[in-house]
Amino acid sequence: MDSILSTSLAQLAFPEAVPTITLAHYLFVSAAMFVMGLIGFMTRKNMIIMFLCTELMFQGAGLALIAFGRHHLGADGQTFVIFVLCVAAAEAAMALALVVLLFRHRESLSSQSWKELNG
Amino acid sequence: MSPIWTILLIVIPLLGALLVAFDREEGAYQSAMRTMLFTLIPGLFMLYQFDYTMGSEYQGAASINWISDLGLKLSIGTDAIALLLIALTVLLGPIVVAASKTAITEDRRKYYAWLLVLQSAMVGVFAARDLMLFYICFEFTLLPMFVLIRCYGSTNRVAASTKFFLYTFTGSMMTLAGLMYVVYFVAQETGIWTLDIAMITSIAPRMPLDHQAWVLFAMLAGFAVKVPLFPVHTWLPLAHTEAPTAGSVILAGVLLKLGTYGLLRFAIPITPAAFIEYAPFIATLSVIGIIYAGLICWVQEDIKKLVAYSSVSHLGFCVLGLAALNVSGLSGSVLYMLSHGLSTGGLFLMIGFMYERYHTRDMRQVGGLASKMPVWSFFMVFFAMASVGLPGLNGFPSEVLCLIAAFQSDAAWTAAHEAGAWGTTLGPWFAVFAGTGMVIAAMYLLYMVGKICFGAYREPEGHHAHEVLPTDLSRREIWTLIPLAVGCLVFGLRPVYLLDAVSDPINDTVIAAYENQHHELHIETNEEHAMTEHSTSEQHP
Amino acid sequence: MINTTLLSSMLALAPDAHAGGAHAPATSEVASGPSWILLIVALPMVTTILCGIYAMIGNKSKLPAWTTVVGAGIAFLCTVAMYLSFDGTPYTVHAFDWIQVHFSSEGGDKSMIANFSFYIDTLTIYWMLFVTGLATLIALYASEYMSHDIGTSYCRFFGAFGLFVFSMACLVMGDNLLMLYLGWEGVGLCSYLLIGYFYKKPEAVAAAKKAFIVNRIGDLGLALGVYLTFVHFGSLEYAVLFNDPTLLGYVESAKVGDFSAIPAMAQWIPLLFMIGAFGKSAQFPLYVWLPDAMEGPTPVSALIHAATMVTAGVYLIARTYPMFLASEHALPIVAWIGTITALLAATIGMAQFDIKRIMAYSTVSQLGYMFAGLGVLTPTGGAYHVLTHAFFKALLFLCCGAVMHGFAGQLDLRKLSGLRQVKGWGIVSLGMFIGCINLAGVPFTAGYFSKDTILAEAFVTPGYAMIGWILLITAGLTAYYTFRVFFRVFMGPVEYHPGDELHDHDHDDHGEANHHDAGQHGDHHADHFHPHAPGWAINTVLVVLTVCSIFASGLYIVGGNKDAHTKHYADTMVSASTASYHSNYGSHAFEYYEKDPEHYPVPGIGPRGTIEQPLEMPLVGGDPHKMMYYISGVIGVIGIALAWFLHLFGRTNAAECKMDPIARMFGPIPKLAENKWYVDEIYWAILVTPLRIGSHILHWIDKLFVDGIVNVFGFLPRLLAWILRPSQSGVLQGYAVSMAGGIALLLLTVFVIILQGGAS
Repeated sequence: MDSILSTSLAQLAFPEAVPTITLAHYLFVSAAMFVMGLIGFMTRKNMIIMFLCTELMFQGAGLALIAFGRHHLGADGQTFVIFVLCVAAAEAAMALALVVLLFRHRESLSSQSWKELNG
Repeated sequence: MSPIWTILLIVIPLLGALLVAFDREEGAYQSAMRTMLFTLIPGLFMLYQFDYTMGSEYQGAASINWISDLGLKLSIGTDAIALLLIALTVLLGPIVVAASKTAITEDRRKYYAWLLVLQSAMVGVFAARDLMLFYICFEFTLLPMFVLIRCYGSTNRVAASTKFFLYTFTGSMMTLAGLMYVVYFVAQETGIWTLDIAMITSIAPRMPLDHQAWVLFAMLAGFAVKVPLFPVHTWLPLAHTEAPTAGSVILAGVLLKLGTYGLLRFAIPITPAAFIEYAPFIATLSVIGIIYAGLICWVQEDIKKLVAYSSVSHLGFCVLGLAALNVSGLSGSVLYMLSHGLSTGGLFLMIGFMYERYHTRDMRQVGGLASKMPVWSFFMVFFAMASVGLPGLNGFPSEVLCLIAAFQSDAAWTAAHEAGAWGTTLGPWFAVFAGTGMVIAAMYLLYMVGKICFGAYREPEGHHAHEVLPTDLSRREIWTLIPLAVGCLVFGLRPVYLLDAVSDPINDTVIAAYENQHHELHIETNEEHAMTEHSTSEQHP
Repeated sequence: MINTTLLSSMLALAPDAHAGGAHAPATSEVASGPSWILLIVALPMVTTILCGIYAMIGNKSKLPAWTTVVGAGIAFLCTVAMYLSFDGTPYTVHAFDWIQVHFSSEGGDKSMIANFSFYIDTLTIYWMLFVTGLATLIALYASEYMSHDIGTSYCRFFGAFGLFVFSMACLVMGDNLLMLYLGWEGVGLCSYLLIGYFYKKPEAVAAAKKAFIVNRIGDLGLALGVYLTFVHFGSLEYAVLFNDPTLLGYVESAKVGDFSAIPAMAQWIPLLFMIGAFGKSAQFPLYVWLPDAMEGPTPVSALIHAATMVTAGVYLIARTYPMFLASEHALPIVAWIGTITALLAATIGMAQFDIKRIMAYSTVSQLGYMFAGLGVLTPTGGAYHVLTHAFFKALLFLCCGAVMHGFAGQLDLRKLSGLRQVKGWGIVSLGMFIGCINLAGVPFTAGYFSKDTILAEAFVTPGYAMIGWILLITAGLTAYYTFRVFFRVFMGPVEYHPGDELHDHDHDDHGEANHHDAGQHGDHHADHFHPHAPGWAINTVLVVLTVCSIFASGLYIVGGNKDAHTKHYADTMVSASTASYHSNYGSHAFEYYEKDPEHYPVPGIGPRGTIEQPLEMPLVGGDPHKMMYYISGVIGVIGIALAWFLHLFGRTNAAECKMDPIARMFGPIPKLAENKWYVDEIYWAILVTPLRIGSHILHWIDKLFVDGIVNVFGFLPRLLAWILRPSQSGVLQGYAVSMAGGIALLLLTVFVIILQGGAS
């Protein structure tokens, strides 16, 4: 039984033109998502954007997990991803609430305005 | 002797501490006092039931397995030396509580609860027959003392408590490392993990000399700081000065003795060869301490600091006696441990009583108290004279024995007198230099008495009479001092009882040390032989 | 209360536990004496305790004085009974065990035993007789003298007084060296307490402190000597020590001059003892405390600082005489130090104006004679001088005290004159006269005989003639300064000015107030001052002491023992003890002589000569003992005549005399002598100040260096943190960057390792 990934919509639409998508492709996409998230996190100052970037990194990591899970024909990867999604959801709820609170204190969404923890 | 008394002595103060902690604030003093007085009962039973003819036996022994795989047990037992030190601790208990009645007016529950916990830990140190129990109690004395200084001390208390804690704690960490190595060595030798002190002291002297030296220095790191020996003494004047009166009394009376007790109980039996090897070094440090701290006392203006430095000077004699490693030296040293607590404890009480009335310890601001406080001055002169080492009072017999010991402990004379237990570590010069401590002690103590008791009356500006306390000592304060004064007289006039009681364990310790010294040499050669064999077999398979 | 129970249970338990301990005392060979002798020691202690109780219950009468007089009196009667019942054999009386340490080892069991017990021989009895006797008399005197202080201070005075008698009894009677040391320090303590009796006076407090500390320096020597004795001879008890074959062997070698046979350690013992003796008996260089000690009440000066305590050094040397004999250098040093002290103190005494100070310096000087006597091998002469000096010097001090008491603290001899003619002062004047002729060595007085013994022996003993001459000159000076006091204060025209001391009855309560109006009263009294003559107690004591001083000379004539080769009473008493220089066998001397008369040491040959010295060294062509009677008598009379001419002849008022222009001729010398040759200042400059500065330096070293190192260790972690601190910027993205960079670095490392691993 082939999995969903091996008979994707793309393959159905372009059966000849598109070459077979391998694990490497998925990992590339996953890495790209992660790096985009990372760069966004490191460069942007808006806390909401930063938060979205972390979500992007999550998803990149999740994609890699699913890809490896499919590659090894195990369910572990998907299980982890479900956990990650749950945690991310909870975290989103908390983090956005915190951001709102912080915004109320400083009237700013810039992360630079909070650096009390310097040494 | 039944072990129940020792256990009670440890448990009652702990229960009392709980009681005090959850009692009303006003009742804290009463509850603490009752608990301390109650501990006198098991204390008396211990003294009464102890069989003094077998002073070197550990009587009232009891043991519970704790972690049997690691050989951890909770075992207790007391020989004559431990018994007397426990008796001193128990005697000081009610005295320090009584001394705190008017001095501590805030947060009394915490204060008395920690005081009781401290009492229990101190008894635990002396009663422990298991290395782990000893060490736990040894370290646990730090915490209550830290709280007492930190929360109830005077102006510079934060620095004092921090230094006290970190200094002694760092030292005892090294001691722990050394002792753990000993345990490891014993396990290697016997194949059994054990922390039983008797077992360890019988096997550990087989360590080769250089290992013994390392272990000795690890132990010195902890015990010498505790004593305190020059040059690791600087925490003491600070801690003594800042601590509340009760804290100073306990510090001088018992906590400092943990260091000398540790040297006597662990350093000498576990590493006899190294101790004999390095005894001149230890003795030199103690002689320097005697003179150095004595001279520093002489220029103090803070009376409490003066007495604190005098402790450093006095404890030098105690360590000198240990370093002489002969019967008179160890007897003198044990006697010093007991008697120093009485006279210096007394002096700290006197200073505490004065401080409550005048709120200063500066001898430039207050003095000539003999006209206002004759009873106080009488006791002050009395304890000062006890501290000077006046014959007939407690300081004298121990000082004599320590100095005689240093004289005796000379290789040439020992050979001439054909008596094995005379020691070979020191010589007359140690006694001569240590003896100048007698003169210096007279100088600084008379300087103190002359300024604080005699001369024209001086009081700090804006001084007004205490709301509760009378001008001279109150009845409670006098009754606090009388046990100590009687103790000074009894120790000074009848030291023979104490000397007889500790004679057996001390003779055993000395003989074992010299026997085990040779034991070590013997085993060492065997081991070296075995090791060379082993290495050669490795190199040439 | 429970605490005391604890202690008493300890007391009750310990003896039971050791009842089986078979540590038989090593003194078993010496018989045990009757236990009522303990009363001599116990009674003064009881009086002290009673005085303490009186103070507590607030007694306001003369009860403490009467208690002390009765206690000391009974002690004296017991001493007399002890003397009368003494049959010539020393014995010990055991009170209780004190310090005992038992060494068990393969080499055999040994013990260090120092019990609270007492050793009675003739030397002990000799000393105790005058100690307890004088203590009784002076307590009686003090009952009147101290009466303006009735109340707590009165109790304090007599409490310390009783404690002193107790300590002195322990010192003299103790049967081991540690007991002697106990008494030694005990009398030092009482001396401290009594000199500092007027504790509000800074000078008194300073003098008390000085006395204790200077004594303590001596005590260190004594203590080390005691320890060395134990370590060397293995015992501290006289009964064992002085019968120790090793020690007897040493003395035998010393008698033939063979000091190489005696170990250096044994020769060190007397040198250390000597330091103690110099401290307690105020010898050069440790004499400086004694003149200052006159700050104490006069009865104290008389009893402690003239008659009894200061002779403890003489007692120590006499008691341990065999050890001194066994040392090559000890006795010569003792002799020379004594001589130097005698001369030095006499020169200072000549230039003082405070009569009590003059007496103090004369005490130092006379103590120098005693030491010289010990040094020139006549412990008998030393001990006899102790006895005669005890009487006449106590008498002199008490007379000075009476003057001081009567004239409101006036002691300056320039402000007192002709007291002999003032009504009610006859007994004092007579007493003073008798004391002075004794001190000056007027022929046929006790002081004359005792001084002659020492002087003659200085010429008899080979090698000491120089000492003899110096002491002779000193005797002349002594006669001069003694009669200087007498002629100025008691003779001549009547004139007196009161001192500034007041007899306030509320002395205790209003220290400052008292001091404040002292000046007013002084002025007030100057106009119509009436000296109050001594009362019956003081007069009685003065009469008794005068009689004793006169009859002390009789002891030179009677009491000799032909069988024992002793010439007079003091000789008989001293020669039968360990102090006898020709025999250290105590009462066994005569048995020894009977057994082996040929080797019985010949008197006159000291430990420093092997060659056969002539028994008597000729002095001015005759036997020194006979010639000395004339020479010293003449010198004494010359001194008195000089004093008469310079201080009495033609004197019209108190302040001026013929001496003044003569003194001016000597330039700065009288001033130097008046200022005690600046010895105190020199000590202060070369000892005290540097030590004090050194202590301050040490204190700073302790604070900055020793504690500094510790603080450096505490500071190191903080330093490290300070370096790393900037990395914690607090900016969120900074952490993110460092995290990402760190991971990247880690991954890179891993890749490199994998790649390299793959390559190899």
